[in-house]
Amino acid sequence: MVATVVRLRARILRHTLARETWRLVVLIAGALWALSMLPSVAGGMVWLSGQPAEVAHDVLVVGGALLVVGWTVVPVLIPGLDDALDIDRFATFGVPVRRLVPGLLAASFLGVPTLFTTLVCFAPVLAWSGHAPAGALTAAVAAPLALAPCLLGARLSTGLMARLLGSRRSRELGAVGGLLVVGAVVPGVVAVGALGIEGALERVPAVATVLGWTPLGLAWAAPAAVVQGDVAGGVLRLVLAAGWAVVGVLAWMLLLRRALVSPPARGGEVRRRADSVLPARDLVGRPGLVAARAVSRRALRYWGSDPRYVNALLGAVVAPVAIVLLVATVVDAPAAVALSMGPLMAGSVGWGRHNDVAYDGSAFWMHVSARVPGWADRLGRAAATLTWGLPLTVVVSLAGAWVAGRPDLGAAAVGAALGVLGAGLGVSAVFSTVLPYPVAEAGASPFVTPSGSVGASMVAQVVTSAATAALSLPVLVAYGATLWWNPALAPVTLVLGVLGGAGVLLGGVRVGGRIFDGRAPRVLARLR
Amino acid sequence: MTSPDGPAEPARAPSPALSMRGLVKRYGRTVAVAGLDLDIPAGSFYGVVGPNGAGKTTTLSMATGLLVPDAGTVHVHGVDVWRHPTAAAPLLGVLPDGLRVFDRLTGPELISYAGLLRGMPRGVIEARRDDLLRALDLTPAGATLVADYSAGMTKKIALACALVHAPRVLVLDEPFEAVDPVSATAIRRILQGFVAAGGTVVLSSHVMALVERMCDHVAVVAGGRVLAAGTLDAVRAGQDLEQRFVGLIGGEQADPELTWLRPSSD
Repeated sequence: MVATVVRLRARILRHTLARETWRLVVLIAGALWALSMLPSVAGGMVWLSGQPAEVAHDVLVVGGALLVVGWTVVPVLIPGLDDALDIDRFATFGVPVRRLVPGLLAASFLGVPTLFTTLVCFAPVLAWSGHAPAGALTAAVAAPLALAPCLLGARLSTGLMARLLGSRRSRELGAVGGLLVVGAVVPGVVAVGALGIEGALERVPAVATVLGWTPLGLAWAAPAAVVQGDVAGGVLRLVLAAGWAVVGVLAWMLLLRRALVSPPARGGEVRRRADSVLPARDLVGRPGLVAARAVSRRALRYWGSDPRYVNALLGAVVAPVAIVLLVATVVDAPAAVALSMGPLMAGSVGWGRHNDVAYDGSAFWMHVSARVPGWADRLGRAAATLTWGLPLTVVVSLAGAWVAGRPDLGAAAVGAALGVLGAGLGVSAVFSTVLPYPVAEAGASPFVTPSGSVGASMVAQVVTSAATAALSLPVLVAYGATLWWNPALAPVTLVLGVLGGAGVLLGGVRVGGRIFDGRAPRVLARLR
Repeated sequence: MTSPDGPAEPARAPSPALSMRGLVKRYGRTVAVAGLDLDIPAGSFYGVVGPNGAGKTTTLSMATGLLVPDAGTVHVHGVDVWRHPTAAAPLLGVLPDGLRVFDRLTGPELISYAGLLRGMPRGVIEARRDDLLRALDLTPAGATLVADYSAGMTKKIALACALVHAPRVLVLDEPFEAVDPVSATAIRRILQGFVAAGGTVVLSSHVMALVERMCDHVAVVAGGRVLAAGTLDAVRAGQDLEQRFVGLIGGEQADPELTWLRPSSD
């Protein structure tokens, strides 16, 4: 069974690569990047072998934990990365999950990320060989146990998210998710704000010690314990890591079994009494406005209930926070980093809509058949995003200024964020009709990559991010000037951001609307 | 026969409700529709039949403004569908086959959405929505998301969306697929009433008996061309439609026997 599944995976990979040149390019680029990283990983390990055991322990445990967190979080935030075999495809063959699992695990080695991570997990052997042979030996034994949480973390996180998002209880889910984000981010921001980022970095050893006893760091901490003479502690950690791996496999199997008998899309029924699409009052004015309001109401429903939208929303909010936190650990300008949070989130929210039409899928025919005026379609979609995106970016910008200890720059941060938000949404209003690319279908798991989309999506993403950046430049320059040159420019940045953002957005609605009027049937043809 | 481009030409003779001229659509090297001409008389109940892959769906998509033709023209009541799309759209009601709907809305919400996209006032939408739900027996499912509907119910709600703006020409691609007999009867009554009131219905199907029972006109399409078109009796030419169809398409194939397909063998 293992060989069959691995052969199947290899064959699928070969066919996909033959059909999609871009995917091959991405694969080769990824492989080259991984190869180019290996010398620096090895170099780091050699350097660690000359450091005291405590330092090596802290670095390896924190690094290893970050690796696991990355494997767990990134596939959820960036849908379409996970190219594992979809369990649903096996549903009709009646193969027991127990026999599938080893094959699925083995098949995941047919990918650059897994191979690279495997090498990284074995790298500590180098670091500990400088301390004691026993340490190197332990590191070699621990390597598979360090790899296991990475692979299982990715499977469990995407599997669980797909199930949770697939159930129709998304409104409750959204509320819980929001609370979790607020609950995790607010204390984090307050703590970092109170300690200062420098202070926070001084806590690393304490954090590493704790992490060393969690599934994230057990396998990375074991060699350190052995080197420091605590052989029993090292062995105990290895046993615990193995135990967690077993628990992880069992949990994954449970998830797979559930997925086989009840696909995630078949959640409980939601019953809605009132027709919340039909407005309470007629709009006076152009008939297009009626359509625009309907589009925006419908889009808002999707923001709350479609797994793909909920996932995009989480990604748009969490990704900038993650970037800022990561950058803050490297860059020595904590205030500037905190102040960039608002514009960054605005960018990810606005730019994130550059493929909005594709999320409609073939249901977009209703807009084409009714010949909804292009501007009304564009305006409705942008309005739905603004409904939650506008308050969010304002609050985040003000929070960033407060954490940075520069509440006087709050107005400028809000201005910059709104300018970027408008630019992103304006660019999206144009390019979602010009360069649509396939996404996971409605009702499907948001983590499935539709085939034939890599090249188109790369082009669209590069073009739209360049356009967003270019159109955001004026307000960002003004923001930079306020920050580093003259704080009195804050009101200028605010006005420039609000007016410029609104201008770009309306311009995008207009231009995108005209393109839409001419191209809507062609866009539909690309979506079916 | 071809009517000049422009709005509301005076009703001289019976001008066709839908007129297709030289329609062509290629997908790569495959020619799906190869220069198709077809006139649908106003007030007719028109059936388009053809084998799988005949180009029915492609033709109807081009006729309703959903798929850009590579060549050819389409007029609906004299309005060029591809040159004056906004003038043509209100005249057409479309039920496409194999396309999704916004299924995170409930049935009633989806009908409202279809009406609002066309800029209709809320009072009109509300009244028609409730009428349609009653007529199609969808009121009990009113609070369920369309995602949870069965295939037949989804078909019915999409039909309601095609009707809500009271079009003059209804183009329905496989409207009876997956629909149970009771609902099919209801749909048929609605369509017959629509034709009696002066509307035009075009539907595609590969169920000959159904077309024979409902339609007064029929076109046989294969290989992206019209093989025969006209009134039902003219096309049938004394045979029953199925025999005639098989005769036109090119005979029955000798079916290769699957001798191993027996419950007892292994």
